[in-house]
Amino acid sequence: MTFSWRRAAAVARKEWFHIRRDPFTLALALVLPLVMILVYGYAIDFNIKDVRLAVSDSDRSQASRRLIDTFTSSDYFRVHPVDSADDAVRDVAAERARAALIIPPRFEKDLLAGREGRAQVLIDGADNATVGPVSQYVGSIQALASRRIAGSDLTPPYQLRTRFLFNPELNSRWYVIPGLTVVIMAILSIFLTSLTVAREWENGSMELLLSTPVQPIEIIAGKAAPYAALAMLAMAFVYIIARTVFGVPFAGHLWVFGLGCLLFLVAYLAQGLLISVVARQQTIAMQFSMLTGMLPSNLLSGFVFPIASMPKFFWYFTMLLPARWFMVIARRSFLEGSDLAQLAVPFAALALCGAVMTALAVRRFKRTLE
Amino acid sequence: MNGAVSISVREVCKSFRRFPALHGVSLEFEAGRMHGIIGPEGSGKTTLLRIMLGLLVPAQGRVEYFEDGRPADFEALRPSLAYMPQTQSLYPDLSIDEHLEFFRDLYSLPREIYARKREELLGVTRLAGFVDRPAGQLSGGMYKKLGLMCALLRSPRVMVLDEPTTGVDPISRRELWDLLYRLLDENVLILVTTAYLDEAERCSKVHLVELGRVVAAGEPRRLLEVEGARSFDELFMRRAAASAP
Repeated sequence: MTFSWRRAAAVARKEWFHIRRDPFTLALALVLPLVMILVYGYAIDFNIKDVRLAVSDSDRSQASRRLIDTFTSSDYFRVHPVDSADDAVRDVAAERARAALIIPPRFEKDLLAGREGRAQVLIDGADNATVGPVSQYVGSIQALASRRIAGSDLTPPYQLRTRFLFNPELNSRWYVIPGLTVVIMAILSIFLTSLTVAREWENGSMELLLSTPVQPIEIIAGKAAPYAALAMLAMAFVYIIARTVFGVPFAGHLWVFGLGCLLFLVAYLAQGLLISVVARQQTIAMQFSMLTGMLPSNLLSGFVFPIASMPKFFWYFTMLLPARWFMVIARRSFLEGSDLAQLAVPFAALALCGAVMTALAVRRFKRTLE
Repeated sequence: MNGAVSISVREVCKSFRRFPALHGVSLEFEAGRMHGIIGPEGSGKTTLLRIMLGLLVPAQGRVEYFEDGRPADFEALRPSLAYMPQTQSLYPDLSIDEHLEFFRDLYSLPREIYARKREELLGVTRLAGFVDRPAGQLSGGMYKKLGLMCALLRSPRVMVLDEPTTGVDPISRRELWDLLYRLLDENVLILVTTAYLDEAERCSKVHLVELGRVVAAGEPRRLLEVEGARSFDELFMRRAAASAP
């Protein structure tokens, strides 16, 4: 028998009735993106500012004050003076400060004598999240401070200027929110669809459905369509919040990003349906979708941990995940304005993932109750 | 396309894990008759129906389909088989009309044929006043009638019903049977399972099934005569007493 649009549309229409009458599904589709974008956008800020810095200045010279001023005038540190080096260390240990700057008594004298002026920075290594950024800040402040202390007469023979492309202020929101679109789409698509076929098995309607002329591919297509529409709606919602509330720039082409969304959806909806077809029980389907959809889209897509720094095995393994490819499309669409030709590889990979997943879901869909 | 369909079940065996459900069952179902598969719960009635509908695969034996006496391919006949499962199988949140429209599209029915069928079925089942009510809020009898309506929308040539009258009040039961009798006039093969033994006498041919075996088959009156029983209740009670240790 050939594919019938009418039968597929009938399944889609029926599914749409279910969605409309199930407040949980609608709420999940519209509230979840809102909550996630607000949490990631406001609460989780990967930019570290106002790091409390305990400063012990035993030198009290012009040079030491210049060094401290350089720290103060950056937005990154909030300086609070302490009496001794021991106090500074104690503050870090008691978590009253996240870093300490200790300037020894002979700091300026050493400098004037042409020797190396030594000052010490202590960073709380137990707080893994701050170590990297803080030590980076210290590095750049050091360079700045040495120029200031030396005065304008001693200009370094060269100047190294770093300018960050696409996100000049290195605003982490600009980076996180486009990535968040991937996580939201993944959760919505896989979670909602993984339940639909399992539900038919659970309430007995599959037995009746299988005795009608409807084909597995028509059931798959019909069930995926309304969820695709719902997820695209949620995505439009996220896009509007990202642009208006958080002011994330969008440098690319909306149609390229939209096409990426659609391809990613096809892959994940098919994966959700495959889970549902195999599991036949809603609780099992839910666990499977967490394991194979939500976790990888968070951890292995490059959203939190950069793929480039993963071990070789994971570097290859993530190639199987649609989330990795869509992450590239989302970030480069938002920030770099890449066009379709520049994104050819992720698009091809995404299309392939979608085709394979759909084929698997249709193949595994059995027309018997065995 | 509109030939009469008959079905032969030959030596079919089926078991689930380690529990045998059918032991070499052979049955003949001729077109245009109402066949009753009668037996207590757990005797393998539902398994037998599912095998005949291609929903389960037999471990041994086979099912043969005939159209006007000539062998026919199951896949070709599949669209003209209608099935009403025993378990709840409708969508609780969909109304009667939404169910009918869903099945109309699954069966690819033309609008005008659908409109006529809908009118007719709603009239016979007396459900016309409830078309907007969700299936989850229908009474047991109304629910079964809706299931039957969904199956009958497409004018099937084989109608398979698994315990259509279980959990249905006496008046609705009579209505359901009346609905089925109308189908016989259209030369439809009807297969009904039931655990209500008094309903056996409504069938033109009964097949008594017990513990996965066919123990007797024939016209209800003749069968009772041969066995020397006054009713199927008596017949089964006697057999149960005889097989008890």
